[in-house]
Amino acid sequence: MDMTAAATLYGAMIRGIAGAGRDNAAAAYGEGRVALDSDVAQLRRGDLDALSTLLTRYQNRLYRYLLRMVRQPAEAEDLFQQTWLRVAEKIQHFDPRRSFEAWLFTLARNLAIDHLRRIRPESLDEPSGDAAAGETAATRLPSHDRPPIEGILARERSQRLGVVLEMLPVVQREVLTLRFEEEMKIEEIAEVLGAPLSTVKTRLRRALERLRVILETSYPGENWQ
Amino acid sequence: MNEHDKIRALLSLAAAEVLEPSEEKQLMDHLRTCDSCGAELEKWKLLAGGLRRLPTPQPRSIVVERARAQAQIRLTEEIEHRWNRTVIIGLLVFAWILTLLSWPLVRLFTGGLLGMLDPRFNHAWIVFGVFTTTVWLAGGAAAVLLSTQQRRERRLA
Repeated sequence: MDMTAAATLYGAMIRGIAGAGRDNAAAAYGEGRVALDSDVAQLRRGDLDALSTLLTRYQNRLYRYLLRMVRQPAEAEDLFQQTWLRVAEKIQHFDPRRSFEAWLFTLARNLAIDHLRRIRPESLDEPSGDAAAGETAATRLPSHDRPPIEGILARERSQRLGVVLEMLPVVQREVLTLRFEEEMKIEEIAEVLGAPLSTVKTRLRRALERLRVILETSYPGENWQ
Repeated sequence: MNEHDKIRALLSLAAAEVLEPSEEKQLMDHLRTCDSCGAELEKWKLLAGGLRRLPTPQPRSIVVERARAQAQIRLTEEIEHRWNRTVIIGLLVFAWILTLLSWPLVRLFTGGLLGMLDPRFNHAWIVFGVFTTTVWLAGGAAAVLLSTQQRRERRLA
């Protein structure tokens, strides 16, 4: 695939993809942060409403993260419930100087890793550096045929990217979802994964490279516009 | 590896916005003279943008409500457990203090004030101390065991 075609492919993908936008307003972030700290402090005092508020606040993000980890909705739902039970049990051990978000995702990650270790231990193997290893999974991609309606096209492109994301090994999927979907800083990701910054960066780079190879292999020269 | 190759290796991380300031500066300097890396960076940025805009899957509402209810029950149990532990510890301390205070009071009313100032430990003091310590240690251990058992039963239920 030449550079122009590749640029067209990714450009069309981005323009077409619909989804939740980022809220980067500094003021809103500050207010949200204060509200979060307040809710966490209340939860530590045993406030049931604070628990409910935090659950509502993180329900979609936590579920998305767990789904990216285990890929099966039923398993992700089960882990979602277990994570909140763990929050209720362990909130007294939470250090308020730390990030609640990182702590929450660490709990979820530990449960997901334990689950995968029990159910599909092979899925936890570290991937090799061979970026082309994911090519064989291309058969799982949805059909290239699509109706000529831009909205449907956009959804389909997004679904394809999601499917390609699922082809990556769990250690690469999770680092991508934490960085791009959860928008965590690299330090927070390192905290969740319990890994050094250099390791996180290496995983991130390998994951992006592998994702791109699979996309270019699965849709060579396709016009995404 | 020449500078061009080094910069190439940084492009994906640049799109992920995780470069160190020094690496960013190095990248910007290189991009001023290298169109090929500029085009490559754009592709990485588009891919990164696509990942950021992936639709968010949502859990079923019944799952969320079940998680909420279960977590609230567990939190209530944890609060109750903490309260019970605090009460037990408070009662133990209170009982200890009461026990230790009772003997000098008995001495005060039976042996007189001067008897209390006698520094020698007599036989009755030692027996009393050993007996009290044993009883309260046994009581404390029983309370802890009972609490652990109840907790395990609650989890199994």
